[in-house]
Amino acid sequence: SSSSSSHGRILQFAPFQSLVDDGFWRRLSSLKLDTLGVDQSPIPITGYYAPCSHPRVSNHMTLLAESFSVVPEAPRGNRNRCPVPGVLLNTNTLPSFRTLDRESLLQKEAKKILEDICSGKVEEDPGVLSSFLVISYADLKKWGFHYWFAFPALVLDPPASLLDLRPASEVLSAEEAASLSTACNKWRSSTLTADIPFFLVSISSNSQANVRPLKDWEVCQGDGQKILYGFYDPCHLPNNPGWPLRNFLAFIGLRWKVGRVQFFCYREKHGLADLGLSLIGEALVSPPEAWRDPQSVPKAVGWELKGGKLSSRFISLAESMDPERLAISAA
Amino acid sequence: MVLSQKIHEAFKGTVERITGPRTVSAFKEKGVLSVSEFVLAGDNLVSKCPTWSWEAGDPSKRKSYLPADKQYLITRNVPCLRRAISVEEEYEAGGGEYLLDGADDDDNEGWLATHGKPKEAKGDEEENLPSIDTLEISKGKVVQSIPSYFGGEEEEEIPDMADFENSENLVETDPATLQPSYFVAHEPEDDNILRTRTYDVSITYDKYYQTPRVWLTGYDESRMPLQPELVLEDVSQDHARKTVTIEDHPHLPGKHASVHPCRHGAVMKKIIDVLMSRGVEPEVDKYLFLFLKFMASVIPTIEYDYTMDFDLGSTST
Repeated sequence: SSSSSSHGRILQFAPFQSLVDDGFWRRLSSLKLDTLGVDQSPIPITGYYAPCSHPRVSNHMTLLAESFSVVPEAPRGNRNRCPVPGVLLNTNTLPSFRTLDRESLLQKEAKKILEDICSGKVEEDPGVLSSFLVISYADLKKWGFHYWFAFPALVLDPPASLLDLRPASEVLSAEEAASLSTACNKWRSSTLTADIPFFLVSISSNSQANVRPLKDWEVCQGDGQKILYGFYDPCHLPNNPGWPLRNFLAFIGLRWKVGRVQFFCYREKHGLADLGLSLIGEALVSPPEAWRDPQSVPKAVGWELKGGKLSSRFISLAESMDPERLAISAA
Repeated sequence: MVLSQKIHEAFKGTVERITGPRTVSAFKEKGVLSVSEFVLAGDNLVSKCPTWSWEAGDPSKRKSYLPADKQYLITRNVPCLRRAISVEEEYEAGGGEYLLDGADDDDNEGWLATHGKPKEAKGDEEENLPSIDTLEISKGKVVQSIPSYFGGEEEEEIPDMADFENSENLVETDPATLQPSYFVAHEPEDDNILRTRTYDVSITYDKYYQTPRVWLTGYDESRMPLQPELVLEDVSQDHARKTVTIEDHPHLPGKHASVHPCRHGAVMKKIIDVLMSRGVEPEVDKYLFLFLKFMASVIPTIEYDYTMDFDLGSTST
């Protein structure tokens, strides 16, 4: 597929990056030793991310010790930790880790996301759009952890094409921008909404902006209001939106049948809305008809790269976890 | 940990168990904070600098004297775009360093203020840089070279994953995925070496010294955890291994680099004195803003978000 549309270029999304805190592996180790044993059932986990807050560094999907408590029980209301549901598949041996059928695992997760889009679950719990998968093997003799993240993205065919993408401050009038900043900061400072990463922005004809939950979509229609589809953008790049927009666009196209989408990549500086860093873009979206069939399995991508290649990652915590080494360094 | 350090830690633990936490304010007299003042100052930091948040932490490590949901403060994913050593070279070239504590520069125990505006600290900067123009200037500090971390010798623990990679037929040729060369962090110009590390910076309350204490958890440019030893490249070389030590974090697992709090009270007292001598009455809920400016002298390259302008107290003019 060389050119999908006569209008505009293919919209390219910056992949999510993962970050795993040592505490996560320690908690997994004790869970495995004390509770799981050889049970390899999928473990529900919670990842956390926040909007980009620095013009030069993207934010990541982070796993912490607390990640083993599950959405919605996971800590909520913390603006710097928006919970996203995930699944951990921890295998008992290295060979079984290496021979996992990653393609079908990814498809299974993508199918779940498609189901959540079609059922309307996304409107109630928007975080499910960024659901992710981690496969791992924990070598508890050597305190080594092999792992691999997947951030499943439904692949639109043809891909979304980009008509326009500029800093929000250039797209909006000064009055609209000021009102949107205020509305975003309000949304981000209320514990009820601070950690909800997908939202709607309605801008009325008198330049007043409101931030609303996705389930208010029908209420926003009409009255000459301009609608922007907003999300917390972990990406810092000036010319590309981050990964969460992919499934969001699929959702908007499929659920609300909107073909021409104005989206808003929400980014911050010093923890406050920054409309110079935030982007507003416009894209054409046409989800495959096949996705309307509940049995369909959507094409998906999303296994994380390591150094530009498809590869798992490895972290050794022997230095800080191996009782023998600790005894030597303490002596 | 060396033996003397261990003995001291044990002593400190005992003292912490038998003495109640400070409840009466000694903020202006000693530069220290009571537990409730720490919570007050933390609340103010979180509300003014929302990238900071309170954490409840691991319930088994909870300190009973702090509220369960306010055990420590943390800000994540703070960029560190270059190593401290390069900053120090620039300051050397720019005319020297500013010592916060001029009393004993011979044994290098003073605090270096390598942040701020060294050459032209003008009048309107004064509120934010409380002590810069009253400081002695000490020249000729030795700049040590730092072995490069990016040589890739760290790989020995990693088993050969080549088979794993090549056995894959799942090559994702997706035109809507931005290719990896574009999504690395933006680097300073004229520099083809990746240097962007990120840090989680946390602040705990040290009951023994009655001051906040800063901890650094580092990640390399591919967001893999940094060994605490490598974190020392990002602290002022005058402090590496002296005031910055590697110890157990009270709430997080494992070893982390920390700015040792033994002189925090004394330095904070000096900063408060300078403010008061200028007619500024420091307010205890601003303690952490002052404290983080002071910490910036130890960790000059980690760009956390306290640099916004704040009134540090009420001016009595």
